[in-house]
Amino acid sequence: MVQFALWDILGFLVGAMRWTVLLSLIAFAGGGLMGLALLMLRFAKLPGVGTAVAWYVQLFQGTPLLMQLFLVYFGLALLGWDTSPMVAASLCLTLYASAYLTEIWRGCVMSIPQGQWEASSGLALTYAQQMRHVILPQAARVAIAPTVGFLVQVIKGTALASVIGFVELTKAGQMISNATYQPFMAYTLVGLMYFALCYPLSWWSQRLENRRLA
Amino acid sequence: MSNTTPSPFALVDIQGLHKSFGATQVLKGIDLQVRRKEVVCIIGKSGSGKSTLLRCINGLERFDSGHLAVDGQALQHGNAPAMRELRQHVGMIFQSFNLFPHLSAGRNVMLAPSLVKGLPKEEARTRAQTLLERVGLGDKFDRLPEQLSGGQQQRVAIARALAMAPSVLLCDEITSALDPELVGEVLQVVEMLASEGMTLLMVTHEMAFARKVSDRVVFMHQGLIHEMGTPDEIFNRPQTPELQQFLSALRD
Repeated sequence: MVQFALWDILGFLVGAMRWTVLLSLIAFAGGGLMGLALLMLRFAKLPGVGTAVAWYVQLFQGTPLLMQLFLVYFGLALLGWDTSPMVAASLCLTLYASAYLTEIWRGCVMSIPQGQWEASSGLALTYAQQMRHVILPQAARVAIAPTVGFLVQVIKGTALASVIGFVELTKAGQMISNATYQPFMAYTLVGLMYFALCYPLSWWSQRLENRRLA
Repeated sequence: MSNTTPSPFALVDIQGLHKSFGATQVLKGIDLQVRRKEVVCIIGKSGSGKSTLLRCINGLERFDSGHLAVDGQALQHGNAPAMRELRQHVGMIFQSFNLFPHLSAGRNVMLAPSLVKGLPKEEARTRAQTLLERVGLGDKFDRLPEQLSGGQQQRVAIARALAMAPSVLLCDEITSALDPELVGEVLQVVEMLASEGMTLLMVTHEMAFARKVSDRVVFMHQGLIHEMGTPDEIFNRPQTPELQQFLSALRD
């Protein structure tokens, strides 16, 4: 039986962790941009559009991420697009993040006093100008802490991409476990690595929140 | 409500304005014309509809029926470009100032002229500085609203409204949120504007001020204009028991 040195195992896991980080960044950046677009639509007072965005959010909040991944992965295949697990996972996590971020940011926009909307409307600003120059800069201050906090959710969410065969940190742990017959050791290492990624963000989010409330 | 022929001489022309919040009728048919350079104060108990009337004039509140025009332009809800065009002629100052808290005093004043009128930045800055000087805050350009007193914030709000060179300025109880010692500095600015010929339509509880600066005083009661006249007529010779009661309650 082949023996694996701990260094080999760690090297393999760190290599896989890069994919976890990359997938998280894609989902976060893509989800952020799409979430901002949805947020603009949500408050635009166009008939039916706000409701449609609300349903989009409910759809993603009301179903497991695992199921969303299956639907995107096999759905794309059904449509004849031969996608890699990476593309499917990126797309799915982007959609998932956009739904949650829109909802988080909606709350932040709602916390801006009505008088800010009225004063900026009264000055004849367009809706886009109101958002860009008056509402969003103020909402952003409230939004930073929960947004960073949500990044932690995204990182942990990427673990599910392992089920469609994408080799990120969790999948790598599974492979180590199968090769070494030491699942406890493998998943302990994997867990520690997730923690090393997530804890600094949680800590930072907490600090931002405390500073805002101070 | 049969005649809605616009009055050609009125800057603000309101005819048969009706407005309900749910089952509550707030405005029950308001007719009011404000001429250019006229100063009109609206007085009345809270709940009489005076703030709602003011908010209808720049479209912050939708009215149910009637006709409203500013400078000959009819107010059309649901037509965003037309609403913005109208709002460029109508400045509004609020009870709670509503300055943009993330922008300095100067940038509060610069924002709308730069965005809406496309004024170049340097020009907008110079104009904002001039306007702040007019309201006595020339040295506060870079201060954030939270670093200013209530009276100073309200004066910045006035400068911000003036920056759009409106034809009429709506003032919605602009001194009600101020500490008593700060009321004077704001009213002084408004008085200066009145003397310079700005058309003003104000809802106020400052009766002494209304008496002093108004060309006309409007007493609103239960969603209607109950009595209207010169300050002398309204304050010294009130005709209706409602106005007499309102005024005597204030004297107590």
